[in-house]
Amino acid sequence: MTVNWAQVFFNSAITGSLYLIGAVGLTLTYGLSRFPNFAHAEFITLGAYIGYSVAEQLGLGLPLALVAAFLVTGIVGILCYRGIFQPLAKRGATIIHLMVASIALGFILRHSIGAAWTWKPSYFTTTWSAFDIGPLRITGLWVWLILTAVALAVLMHFILVKTKIGKAIRATASNPELALASGINIDRVILITWFIGAGLAAIAGIFRGADTQIWPMTGWAIILPIFAVAILGGIGNFYGAIAAAFIIGLAENIGVVGLVALGLSTTYRIGIAFLILIITLIVKPQGLAMLFRRA
Amino acid sequence: MGPLLYICDLIVYIGIFGIVSLSLNLEFGFAGLANFGKVAFFLIGAYTYALLSQIGVPFYLCLIAGALVSAIFGLLISLPALRLRADYLAIAVLAFGEILRLIVKSEKWLAGGDWGTPVSPIFPYTGSYIIYRLENIGLVFLCLFICFLVVQLLANSPYGRVLRAIREDEVAAEALGKSKAKYKAQALMLGSAMAGLAGGLYAQYLQYVLPGMFMPMVTFTVWIMVLVGGPANNWGALLGAALVQILARGTNIAKDYIALPIDLNDLQYILFGALIILFLLYRPQGLLKESQVKTKAIGRVRHGRNAIRNKGSQ
Repeated sequence: MTVNWAQVFFNSAITGSLYLIGAVGLTLTYGLSRFPNFAHAEFITLGAYIGYSVAEQLGLGLPLALVAAFLVTGIVGILCYRGIFQPLAKRGATIIHLMVASIALGFILRHSIGAAWTWKPSYFTTTWSAFDIGPLRITGLWVWLILTAVALAVLMHFILVKTKIGKAIRATASNPELALASGINIDRVILITWFIGAGLAAIAGIFRGADTQIWPMTGWAIILPIFAVAILGGIGNFYGAIAAAFIIGLAENIGVVGLVALGLSTTYRIGIAFLILIITLIVKPQGLAMLFRRA
Repeated sequence: MGPLLYICDLIVYIGIFGIVSLSLNLEFGFAGLANFGKVAFFLIGAYTYALLSQIGVPFYLCLIAGALVSAIFGLLISLPALRLRADYLAIAVLAFGEILRLIVKSEKWLAGGDWGTPVSPIFPYTGSYIIYRLENIGLVFLCLFICFLVVQLLANSPYGRVLRAIREDEVAAEALGKSKAKYKAQALMLGSAMAGLAGGLYAQYLQYVLPGMFMPMVTFTVWIMVLVGGPANNWGALLGAALVQILARGTNIAKDYIALPIDLNDLQYILFGALIILFLLYRPQGLLKESQVKTKAIGRVRHGRNAIRNKGSQ
């Protein structure tokens, strides 16, 4: 069996890009609000459905779909934080309570989506013509996905390092009390982070949906690899997440080659990310954080 | 199906999930462990039962084996996992459950992959579904009774007080010489054994196992039972199991009779989600509050205090 390694690496970049876009919001809100938001999966799904409605049902095209999904899901993210997590935290809920609440929120969103749209899989009808560059088979969608991830990385770097809000996000993540004492409006910082985080999840949802299919479990199906990225990269660490996304992208795609060579089912592909997740948690729960400056 | 059949079916479900709910209550309610992978141990029990019964092992051994294998996995998981923070433990165990589901799904030779495998029931069908269900009610409630007795005795024993102490303040408990890792590992092991037993009962009652029965959703239905009923209260865990099952099976039945603009299954989960968030916000202690520790010493202290008070009022 000959393996097209160029394609394997290219596929790794695709997988990594998707996971990165999906994980940025999770890792930032996890770092800031100090609990893992399992309903992040449903932000991904919601984004996919809003994108589907705008692009396919209204026929307004993919760019507008991305913008609409980002804004609407971002607002939903803010509402969820304001309506559920903030009141819970104020009442002294433990991290376990916050986690269970996020799963409960996931139930509500997932089944509301199922009721509002349908539980049958839907497909984006836009066809992306594939073309070959050397040994690579590429579709336009994948090019857009990788470009979006690169643009996101550059933009987030700029925001976190250069802008006032970015610095405030980093300050709040590393020491909320000190940030508060320095006159940072922590409440606003957290809300903006939830907005950006949920909005980016929506973008990931559209790309995932356009590449495969959308149904109410779209987000839940990839939430654990996205957790793996957030944990491996170090919770709240944006630069770590970039590295982790591509490490897990590589591991999954090289792993598939290995699975085929060993005669195992390729359904184990996603299990590779689960395994990385568990091993990281057990061996080094702080992930790659020490390699990167905190952001 | 007649209403009696529905009710018998519901009671079997309450019994089976009552056991799982008690086991999560032991782990979360008493020991403060966030087991987000409960379904993994339920799955282990069910598949162990299925595979052993297929090679002709008698049912009681299958049930015990399911509980034992599950307990071993609980112990194995606990070794590295208990050093972890609550959120890390939750994510790790959730991923463990998904890996197990992936394995039984992918390895078709093991138990039929996606399509699952048939399981022979303990009680052969004798021409009446009612009798089949009544027999199962008997067996399930016998197991539930034993489990309840165990956890109830544990909760009121010095052992249970150590678990609660560790839940409240790990450092203080360690300072008193109580190894938190040991106690947590034991709680996880016993909890897993109970979940495994329930898994075996479930597999033989439904007469099949397939990966779709062990979605993470199952874990969180059990969390709803414990949180609504009342963490650290075994009666609460049972009450929660009954309420959630009545709601869940009720909507299943109502589906056949009521036409709503929204799918009842969706509505049910939306309500479950809202219910749990409302409980966490307004009644985090659940319907039944944590049961107070009952010991002779505490009884005597109360008695003494009352005696003094009575004397004072005379």
